[in-house]
Amino acid sequence: MTNPETMIAVEGVVTRFGSQTVHDGVSFSVGRGELVALIGGSGTGKSVLLREMIGLSRPTEGTIRVFGCDVWKAPADQLAAMRRRFGMMFQDGALFSSLDVAHNVAVPLMEHTDLAPDLIWPLVRLRIALAGLPPEAGTKMPSELSGGMRKRAAIARALALEPEVIFLDEPTSGLDPITARAFDRLVRFLVDDLGITILIVTHDLDTLLTVVDRVVVLAKGKVIGDGGVDEVMALDDPWVRSYFSVRTMGGATGARGDHGT
Amino acid sequence: MTDVLDSGGAGRWVRLEDAARGATLHLSGEWRLASLAAIDRALRATPSVRPVVGVGGEALTALDTAGAMALLRHLEALAIDPATVDFAGFDPAHRRVIEVVMAMQVSGHGEPGMHRRNVFAAIGFELEALGRLMLGHLNFFGFLAAGSATVLLHPGRLRPREIATQLKQVGISAIPVVALVTFLIGIVFAYLLGLQAKSYGATIFVVDGVAIGMAREFSPILVAVIIAGRSGAAFTAQLGTMKLTEETDAIRVLGLSPMDVLVLPRVIALVVALPLLVFVGDVMSNFGAMTMAALTLDLSPNSYLERLSLVLTVRHLGVGLWKAPVFALFIAVIGIRMGMSVSRDTRAIGVNTTSTVVQGIVSVILLDAMFAIVFQKLEI
Repeated sequence: MTNPETMIAVEGVVTRFGSQTVHDGVSFSVGRGELVALIGGSGTGKSVLLREMIGLSRPTEGTIRVFGCDVWKAPADQLAAMRRRFGMMFQDGALFSSLDVAHNVAVPLMEHTDLAPDLIWPLVRLRIALAGLPPEAGTKMPSELSGGMRKRAAIARALALEPEVIFLDEPTSGLDPITARAFDRLVRFLVDDLGITILIVTHDLDTLLTVVDRVVVLAKGKVIGDGGVDEVMALDDPWVRSYFSVRTMGGATGARGDHGT
Repeated sequence: MTDVLDSGGAGRWVRLEDAARGATLHLSGEWRLASLAAIDRALRATPSVRPVVGVGGEALTALDTAGAMALLRHLEALAIDPATVDFAGFDPAHRRVIEVVMAMQVSGHGEPGMHRRNVFAAIGFELEALGRLMLGHLNFFGFLAAGSATVLLHPGRLRPREIATQLKQVGISAIPVVALVTFLIGIVFAYLLGLQAKSYGATIFVVDGVAIGMAREFSPILVAVIIAGRSGAAFTAQLGTMKLTEETDAIRVLGLSPMDVLVLPRVIALVVALPLLVFVGDVMSNFGAMTMAALTLDLSPNSYLERLSLVLTVRHLGVGLWKAPVFALFIAVIGIRMGMSVSRDTRAIGVNTTSTVVQGIVSVILLDAMFAIVFQKLEI
């Protein structure tokens, strides 16, 4: 966290769809080795911002730099090099449905490296193992996977090219709490043991409270909070208060349970 | 004591230090995925004189999981257990990457899941799949018959509104394309027959050829093929999507029968619409031929129509119009069943839709051949 090297820098981003302003000057940055969560109520443009960071939608104004490279102004060859340095996990995995898991993971390796098959396939197996999937998952088709496995397979594909940054779009949505917590541990492992920087868009309070280093809160088109979970929880904002109040009640229930035993 | 390898610049990545107690590999440079091929070559070029007892990481500037994997694979190839090797001088982060990759215990080299079948086995499997498909269609046909019988006994379960909607989609909306195609085929047909008939001075018989040929064979086949592509594919795509979004399950849970709500209206609509569309085809093809005859064969529309009323008997028209509902039944059954049987997978909709069109067209042609034999025996 103290590392000054900035991996992602969002500066004064304004996004308008017609007359509707989604972002009205959003700025924040993510340093190397950080695990940052982007939160906000529905309609605050979290996913839009994520798409702008990875170069899928263009912001109306402002700049977004990933590895110091301006996502919307850099020449094509720089962009191509930049794209190889980050991985993206889409909300429902976005696995190629015509390929099995191993070949899904192999796609970036085959497209962007000139490695021989006898290096690619061990790498693919390593990615599958790193994502916490059993070896036999490699031969499964995406349609045969459960929700949690699909997300792990998507992580394996995002890991293929040894990314320095990974973007995760709601990685725990639609997962049961146990699978979701296991996924949180996986995310934390990627940050701690492999030194990957992760930006995660999430609604999941447990993810925020247990694994995230820093939280960026988006509301009314601006960043209204940026700091540790405790700092953000103390914010005087109606949405933030009602969002975290769910957890305070949950804590009370937990305490009662403790008295019982 | 130390021999630096320079074969293929291997020394840039790995240096072998040979000592009495065993060899030590000294790694240097950026051991990253980007250089993996070179690293792998360097490792392979490293002679395996003595068992490797240590790996030195002091000169390592970067190490990712791919680099760590290459190192561990090298040790594995030398039949050395990495746990017995002394990893010294590594940056703590690099050390951790090695530990992580070691803990994964990845094994196996080749492409996973690659079991190629020989040609004969592949043909066998395809045939078996085809057989299953046909049995499935037959099974579905049985359900359809039972469903129809139920509706006959309880006509109240018939859904006129659904049928009307489907009739509009498969019938009325299809008229323009059917009319255009048959009109153009009429022109081509008249031109083709006209070329021959003209040389005998018998241009009037173009009317016989076009009218009888179109009414008995070409109009039903053409229209059925168009509808197989248009409505058969639409049935599969609609029902497949409904299956995927669990709409068909919702219908069932709400106490409705998918047979009544989804299947029968489509079957009835198509069985009613196809003969009507074939009739549109009969009319339009003659219209096209009449235009062509007037323009190139000096055959006036009056004489064309006069001849038409002589040769085109109800018998010929009937042959075509009777075939149409049978074609329609097959197209509908194939389209609906292929839609209802998609697996939980978006790709399956595409696969099944393509299959519907192929099956629809093939079945129309098969049926037509069967009709030809039957009609010939019956001398119709």
